[in-house]
Amino acid sequence: MLKIKDLSVRYRGSREDALSSINLTFQTGEFVCILGQSGAGKSTLIRCINGLQLPSTGTVSWNNQDISTMKEEQIRNVRREMGMIFQHFNLIPRLSVLQNVLTGMFGYRNTFKNLIGWFTDEEVKRAKQVISDVGLNDLMYRRVEHLSGGQKQRVGIARALLQQPKLLLGDEPVSSLDPGTSNHIFTLLQEMHNRHRLLTIINVHDFELARRFATRLVALKDGKVIFDGIPEDFKDKQFNDTYHSIKEKVTT
Amino acid sequence: MWFKRRNILTLIILSLFVFISMRLTEFDLSKFKDFRNMIDFLSRWFPMDYEKLPLMIQDSLETLAMAFLGSFFGLLIAIPISFIAAKNTSPSKYLFHFTRVTLSFIRSIPEIVFGLILLTALGLGPFPAVLAIMFHNVGVLGKLVSELIESADPGPQEAMKAVGAKKSFANLFSILPQIWPNVLSHYFYRFEVAIRTSLILGFIGGGGIGQRLFNDFKTFQYSSVSLDVLIIMIIVIVVDLFGSYVRNKII
Repeated sequence: MLKIKDLSVRYRGSREDALSSINLTFQTGEFVCILGQSGAGKSTLIRCINGLQLPSTGTVSWNNQDISTMKEEQIRNVRREMGMIFQHFNLIPRLSVLQNVLTGMFGYRNTFKNLIGWFTDEEVKRAKQVISDVGLNDLMYRRVEHLSGGQKQRVGIARALLQQPKLLLGDEPVSSLDPGTSNHIFTLLQEMHNRHRLLTIINVHDFELARRFATRLVALKDGKVIFDGIPEDFKDKQFNDTYHSIKEKVTT
Repeated sequence: MWFKRRNILTLIILSLFVFISMRLTEFDLSKFKDFRNMIDFLSRWFPMDYEKLPLMIQDSLETLAMAFLGSFFGLLIAIPISFIAAKNTSPSKYLFHFTRVTLSFIRSIPEIVFGLILLTALGLGPFPAVLAIMFHNVGVLGKLVSELIESADPGPQEAMKAVGAKKSFANLFSILPQIWPNVLSHYFYRFEVAIRTSLILGFIGGGGIGQRLFNDFKTFQYSSVSLDVLIIMIIVIVVDLFGSYVRNKII
């Protein structure tokens, strides 16, 4: 389904590759957690998958279509099949929960309809359904800046689900939440993953969380894959390889 | 801890500037020994002459209309331009620099110069004044709004791109709600400034309460001048209150 081949990314002005020669293949149904220190290339990898970051070399193929050579118009058609949730939630401020969730449908509608905010009853009904799926029924008309972190991330998940995605990407979705809330969010993600038969790929800091929920772990270090397998094979040695480095690197 | 030797130097330079500026502006408090003239002059302002009040109110409405139209059209034109003049949303680097330079060029021309130029083509009256205010406000609001756009949180833009929205629409939709309260507060400030500007433009024949004030003054009708001034003060205060009311509602 998703095939990453020889993927390298080097940011402008940088002397080292953020990602170098990544080869990975993912199938529908996998719940993948990507591990690694800050600066290991986790975010870059996620952002390459939906074309927010373009590869320097190599290809990212989604259903045998190469994203890296696509035009903006085609990338948009691919992106709408890929839901994405973010560390800082990236909701639109001053809009309600329902309005924010409805933006998940933007990729399927023309710009004029989006601009005037005209939605069919059917679309609104679906939006309300996903909002209740993530457990925010009572907060539907509340403005998003009044919500707690966990509730905001639920809005983010609802927005992604309204896209009816086949692939769900998460860029450190629980890194700014407390452990209890992180656990709730992961439980919700797992439930949605199973219900909608998704491929889910999420960056996580918290190794314990990843081991508990993932069906497959990928560990990155200095832009290279150093582990790819089931959580049971991720032992102390792999843990140390991933999280301890001889030279402490200063990264942004 | 706080006071450093360098501060003494700053103080000396500052005092020098103050001294030079006072010489250049003939700043001399001893001139106030003739302040009886002023008292005498001001005493002729009262009692106020209410006879022309209806005409004055009519002129005030004209002034308000000038200021509103000028600043509002200015805002309407400035918003799309400011998306081009903001680094993070501009379609191209060249366009970004071009609009930035153009905006500061427009801004550098005072309204009164615009007014004087337009008067030659359009004749006396409020219409050239509206255009003069509009042009200047495109320059000012274009700069202010584009700076708001540049400081907007990029996260929501990224999210809108990720759901597959068109890039230009994603920018508009994710940035406008963020900056809207600040856009309004800039706008209302510019509206208030536009009222004062339209007074000045009245002096050169732009119409409105400004022109009436000028005429009353030139014809020594001081009891009308006082009422003109009072009305102007009321207008500015009311607009200020209205602006903060709207802004509080919006936030």
